Amino acid sequence: MGVRFTCKDVAARADALIDGELGLWDRLRIHLHLAICKGCDHFIHQMRQTKAMIRASAALPDEEPAPAALDAILARVAAEPEPEPKPDG
Amino acid sequence: MAKASKSRMTVEGEDEGRFVAALAAGDRAAFAEAYRRYNPPMVRLAAAILRNQASAEEVAQDAWVSILKNIGGFEGRSSLAAWIFTILTNAARSRARRDGRQVSFDDGGEGNGLAAAFDGTGHWKEMPALWEEVTPERMIAGRNLLQHVSAAIDRLPEAQRAVLILRGQQGLEAAEVCAALGISEGNMRVLLHRARHALRRELDRLMG
Repeated sequence: MGVRFTCKDVAARADALIDGELGLWDRLRIHLHLAICKGCDHFIHQMRQTKAMIRASAALPDEEPAPAALDAILARVAAEPEPEPKPDG
Repeated sequence: MAKASKSRMTVEGEDEGRFVAALAAGDRAAFAEAYRRYNPPMVRLAAAILRNQASAEEVAQDAWVSILKNIGGFEGRSSLAAWIFTILTNAARSRARRDGRQVSFDDGGEGNGLAAAFDGTGHWKEMPALWEEVTPERMIAGRNLLQHVSAAIDRLPEAQRAVLILRGQQGLEAAEVCAALGISEGNMRVLLHRARHALRRELDRLMG
């Protein structure tokens, strides 16, 4: 692979780019490519929009928890007072 | 890590340390808030691991019992979310073992459909489009985009879905996702990559 990235090279690094995990040199090479390639510019934009929509989908309206569901868990906690070994926080 | 996580603001703007203290003190409102915030993704993650909705709901309840009993020992070495989801995945694995099932996050290894998008010189065969107006509220075919995205996530292979829930939706660090699911960083990246591209293709279809 030469100094210049192809579209395929850019696409292969799109995840690392949008996650801020790409080194300075690769980032520079991608931005040089994006300056002259509308297709890759659109693609990176699509990837950022996809990432944002995935994140937004975590906040779909959560129903208020049914008090009975909470009570059932609290009753079990009260009935089993011994702490269990669990992963360290 | 411990220092950074102390100042994390992950629970609806409330300082995580104070929130954890309220949970440890048995504050019902704090528990209700944690349950409202985390139970839906916990059930979705357990369903991805167990491939059974009823078992997933039971496992999430078991995990809550463990969480409340052990929250006093949470020291903030990871984020609260990572700690909660690790307990959940441990509970789901125990359940799978009891049911005589193996839990595997290997993903079959099929490509992500991107290789076919390029010609022999590495250029796009067909230029990706510029998407206009990608907003959660936008209505397409009777559903908003967020509902389309959620439905597409539900259709992902289980391993991809598990990674996308933790990394893409809940925003866990890469290392936290690997620890919670017991997978390598390389495997996690491949799964995240495939999941994102599946979602990108679905959005592209909707935008077209």
